[in-house]
Amino acid sequence: MGRQVCVASAGFSEHASKRSDVNMPELVNEAIVDCLKRVPSLDIKDIDAFVNGNMPAFEGSNIPELWMTDWMGARNKPLMRVTTGGTTGGSVAIAGYYSVAAGLPGVDNVLAIAFEQQSQGDTSVGLASVAYGEISVMNSLGIPYDQLTLLLSGGAAIGIASYQATNYMRKSKITEEDLARVVVQNRHNAAKTWWAHLKMPDLTIEEVLDTPYISYPLRYGMVCPASDGACAMLFTTEEKAKDICDIPVFVNGVGSIANETALIGYGGSGSGQLDLSEQLGAQKTSEIAFNQAGIHFPRKEIDYAEVYSPFPNQELMWVEKLGLFEENTATKMYETGVTALNGELPINCSGGVNSTNAIGASALERPAVAALQIMGKASNQVPKTVHTSLGHGWGGYVNLVTMMVMADEPVRKY
Amino acid sequence: MNEKVIVANKGLIRADFNFWVGRYLDKFYDNLENKKIVGNTCPKCGDVFVPPRKICGKCNEVIPLEENWVDLPETGILINYTITPYKVNDRAFRKVKKPQTIGMIQIDGSNTALIYRLLNLEPDNIKLGMKLKVEWEENTKGDPSDIRGFMKI
Repeated sequence: MGRQVCVASAGFSEHASKRSDVNMPELVNEAIVDCLKRVPSLDIKDIDAFVNGNMPAFEGSNIPELWMTDWMGARNKPLMRVTTGGTTGGSVAIAGYYSVAAGLPGVDNVLAIAFEQQSQGDTSVGLASVAYGEISVMNSLGIPYDQLTLLLSGGAAIGIASYQATNYMRKSKITEEDLARVVVQNRHNAAKTWWAHLKMPDLTIEEVLDTPYISYPLRYGMVCPASDGACAMLFTTEEKAKDICDIPVFVNGVGSIANETALIGYGGSGSGQLDLSEQLGAQKTSEIAFNQAGIHFPRKEIDYAEVYSPFPNQELMWVEKLGLFEENTATKMYETGVTALNGELPINCSGGVNSTNAIGASALERPAVAALQIMGKASNQVPKTVHTSLGHGWGGYVNLVTMMVMADEPVRKY
Repeated sequence: MNEKVIVANKGLIRADFNFWVGRYLDKFYDNLENKKIVGNTCPKCGDVFVPPRKICGKCNEVIPLEENWVDLPETGILINYTITPYKVNDRAFRKVKKPQTIGMIQIDGSNTALIYRLLNLEPDNIKLGMKLKVEWEENTKGDPSDIRGFMKI
């Protein structure tokens, strides 16, 4: 067993479609300054090790962790770079967790940093080097590369999501209006979050449904923006966390599972998954993380959830697959306000990835917001007391799912 | 014999990349346009940075944007250099008639170095620690190419 790990603080930079007023290291520095502001007794010099990550090739900047070392305060300190595509942030968080849990001498305070400055590069071209839209889906279906050339393919990340969406819509019998409702909730929440990107306090379902299709059933008004932004999260030991912050957040379970295209077969063909909304990876990840955290009835025991949903159908899908709601009931929860800010199980009160998507940082922002909600320091704080929360990430080559389960007390050992 | 036919399709993907320099470098390039070199100094250790930067890595000290600016001379000393028979700014491997020398120049009064071409200097005449002076481009645009290179004083 490793050491008990706690989250002591988390911070964000301001997110926007173009942060041309700062360069990449300065953007990262903003998040670190915001993170350390919440732990006044801790100086940047007290950080023992660093984990850093972003999406490779998006900004056209290689090994960014080296030339932003000074801006992170990492000079002459252990520094590790983690990058796993869309889940980069989630993997960075888990790497930060492991760095503390390992109990290495002299490594107590670990700063996990993830960022993306998408306005510097061409995201669609960058994405082509990682996951080329519909090709990823066809790999998942089991179609190898040499047969792919016979088929029509195109689209960026939305090419993956639209197939998931149609599968999910057919299974759970929902309408486009239900998708728009998720978007409206997210954008309203984002309006109350200082660092969020798409703030739309007056958005209505009709307005979302009035925008043109990008790829059925996803409309322009439903998809996530491309943001510039950074996030930092401070992991430390139980003893130190109790010294430096009021409410330490205990990390009780982490999981990361690869599925779908991870099972590369002949010629790049994947697992032969026909139903893209099945998401066995998410089910397994939550099983592992909840088991570690001693949570047996997530539906009852989880008070707050941040799920990785660039597209609204994914939000509905994840909350079911992660075990927060019964199958095919998520839509009702959004309709009746269970998932709203003052609901029983608030979801994505930061506005989620749907409102702010600095890709590399997005999956770190999920556990970061989830931790701040337990501390009571989140920007759009839920009115009820949050005891347990989870942060989830999805991405990679549409294969990887990461998850972090947190609580205000350590896991009970029986 | 089994023969495999491979079809190759040639195409171009256009990828535009930007680089936001931030407010500190913005000031530096504004000054380059006026043929002036500026740096900024760490309020704690006093190190002078050219180009200017927000954080002193040694002290982890934030240098305020509006303060600590230093006007620097156009002169410096040669810290290190290399000689290449290839074109520097070209992507293709093209040889040049005369080998080019590229030097690492520490501007007087600063603690960092810039890398620029050394102009009108034969490789035999280059000595480490020699005094050099900025050769400005006639029409400056506010980017790194405003400095054409460095000349011997």
